[in-house]
Amino acid sequence: MTRSPADLLRLRRTRHVIYLLVAAVVVLPYLFQLSMPFKPSSWAEKLYHRVDSLKSGSHVLLSFDYDPASSAELNPMAQALLRHCFAKGLVPIVMTHWVTGVSQVEKLLRDTAEEVQKQTGKPVESGKDYVFLGFKPGTSNLVLNMGENLKAAFDKDFYKQPTESMPALTGVQSLKNIDMAVDLAAGTPGVEMWIVYGSDRFHFPLGAGTTAVQAPQLYPFIKSNQLVGLLGGLRGAADYEQLLKKPADATRGMLAQSWTHTLLVILIIGANLRLLAGLFRRKRTRDA
Amino acid sequence: MVYKRLIPLLLVFVIGLLGFVQEFVPHPLSGQFREEMTMWFRVIGGFALFIGAYSLLHMHVARIRRRMAGWGYSVFVFLGAAVMIAVGLHNGGLGPLAAEPQDRMTWFKWGYENIQVPCSATIFSILAFFMASAAFRTFRARNVGAALLLGAAVIVMFGRVPVSEAVGGWLFGVGHSGVFPRAADAIMEYPNLAAQRGIMLGVSLGVISQAVRILFGIERSYLGGSDE
Amino acid sequence: MSEPETRTDGKTPALEMGALALLVVVFLIVSLVRLQPFSPTADTASAIGIIVAAGLTFVMYSFLYRDNPLFKIAENLYVGVTLGYGAIMTWRLSLMPEVYDPFFNSPTWGAFWNSALHRTVPIILGVLLVTRLSRKYGWLSRYSYALMIGWGSGLAIPLTVHSYILQQLSSAIAPFHETVAHAAAVPIFSQAWFFELVLPALGAVVVMIGTVAVLFYFFFSVEHKRVGGAISRLGIFFLMVCFGASFGYTVMGRMSLLIGRVQFLLYEWLKIPK
Repeated sequence: MTRSPADLLRLRRTRHVIYLLVAAVVVLPYLFQLSMPFKPSSWAEKLYHRVDSLKSGSHVLLSFDYDPASSAELNPMAQALLRHCFAKGLVPIVMTHWVTGVSQVEKLLRDTAEEVQKQTGKPVESGKDYVFLGFKPGTSNLVLNMGENLKAAFDKDFYKQPTESMPALTGVQSLKNIDMAVDLAAGTPGVEMWIVYGSDRFHFPLGAGTTAVQAPQLYPFIKSNQLVGLLGGLRGAADYEQLLKKPADATRGMLAQSWTHTLLVILIIGANLRLLAGLFRRKRTRDA
Repeated sequence: MVYKRLIPLLLVFVIGLLGFVQEFVPHPLSGQFREEMTMWFRVIGGFALFIGAYSLLHMHVARIRRRMAGWGYSVFVFLGAAVMIAVGLHNGGLGPLAAEPQDRMTWFKWGYENIQVPCSATIFSILAFFMASAAFRTFRARNVGAALLLGAAVIVMFGRVPVSEAVGGWLFGVGHSGVFPRAADAIMEYPNLAAQRGIMLGVSLGVISQAVRILFGIERSYLGGSDE
Repeated sequence: MSEPETRTDGKTPALEMGALALLVVVFLIVSLVRLQPFSPTADTASAIGIIVAAGLTFVMYSFLYRDNPLFKIAENLYVGVTLGYGAIMTWRLSLMPEVYDPFFNSPTWGAFWNSALHRTVPIILGVLLVTRLSRKYGWLSRYSYALMIGWGSGLAIPLTVHSYILQQLSSAIAPFHETVAHAAAVPIFSQAWFFELVLPALGAVVVMIGTVAVLFYFFFSVEHKRVGGAISRLGIFFLMVCFGASFGYTVMGRMSLLIGRVQFLLYEWLKIPK
């Protein structure tokens, strides 16, 4: 259907007005620094309590399978999980299946360790208090390999330190020896791979955090107890921060999220009311 | 020809059968075989980058050579790749065989944090604007199915943000502030669960039938190339 | 991404160029004032990095106004940088520890021969994989692909049956089993009976009906007429609600990405206090 130049200009202007509205409702909450209370979701609570129930010295495998494109949603989750692990004295074993996310995960881990070190005054060292295994290709084959012999799959960590006699990996020969795993994923390889090739095979409790886009697809796994908990999107990260009683970036984003969603709901309802009004007008014209 | 077609197909069948059988064999040899095979695929996986890199670079070389529309921009692909590889190999003066230095910033890390990360994060966030624009211009409930879709979308969108608790409390009373979040949860845990489970079961049956077709040589598209 | 728009607004290029120049000047002034990259106490590389990152962010967002050369340059640069990063990381984290170190950095001769025994074949297969790019020798890559595809397919069958089919069927039936198991312990027509037994059972019935209806919708070997048509239509309704929920979450996801960038611009570029 060819449109007239005037129509195209009107469409373009409508689009730009909507873009400006979206930008405004995202930026303004930060300028007024307001906050809004909310109740964490039940699945975020289940994941939190599962991690919280682990004893000091327990090993938690954290697989951060995402790249910078999803960092806005998953970095806050990763940071909250790491803070929780360090606060409880757990030993996080961190890795990633996404080559484009390696440096981002390494920076996050190092920054969080430094922050905890500053807060507690106690050293938090790689190889002793946490391990960063880094990345290896192989996805599901890597998980199977880790399930048989983790130290053979990763004979050195990201910093080229041998894993065989690493204090942080004492007692961990394979995935069968870890106390829990949490996968934060933005796509494939991700949570389903960890369920099928990891937790279902080697029988360790698995929690998940995903982008909001992926979260609805994982409900069947929650209901079948293949996942012990789920954090969905930025709201999931905010839920975890609230349970941890350490509000951070995700909590700060909730007001902007509220306003943008409300804007979209108003736009959808408004557009459909226009449609209904048009239909009624046409019907009246026909009846007349 | 035998070595170009028949032997690869036989290899698929034999390895596939071994992969299937080892799942049910508790003998330590089965575990050792699995460990060996998974180590093989870890090594092979490292070479896969060359294929992706070649495909991408070949496409941009063709654009430059044929002076296609916008060919000048393809130069920046090579520039970005060349600079990142050069600084990566330089590795803060330690060379390509050493681990990345942790005590200082390198040009490689700088390029990742200040070019790749912001571009990657921003390019997908643009969709937020397009979504808002599309919501106003095109999302119309013209039939029952579309009305159900939009209704569910509106309830879930609104129920998953904190403002819904405030609005719920204002509309239905302080004790009922969770109306919208509970409605969103109900949609996720009943109709969404049912449909996702149905899709999952259907897809799984498809995956199994495709795997069987591959093992028996009926599906051969992965071999690529001509039919020789 | 949408196609570039044709110019219909009658604005002259000079006006747009002038506006762009003004925006660039404002951006640079704000960056220098807020970040002070050249002050004695500043981390200059980090500050300049934030300015570059913020600049690239705005260049990317300029696509919302119109497709433009700056956006195209940034887009192609990003592709190249990602490729270069991936290449270096693959060398450091995969090829070096799996191919180079076992042969050139073996601590003992025993370790060297062990590597030779276990790694020679996969390295050869890896090299054969790359022959896929050659028209003449591409058939050699079929051996590598055959191994990977065969292993993946063989493994997929039992794991898919267990994790996707049996576990899901089990969890679909489990609520009914729990209802029956606990029915005797709860007084009938009580509040507990209604909220802990009846409602969950009804919910499980809804889920079961929905799952069957959706599965039936995708079953095309039987014509969807009369009863079959009604079940198929019910399946469509469940699918529509599911897609609506997915759309709601997708909106949440995309808005979160925008919120993340705005947080970067406000907290790290403009240094607004948190």
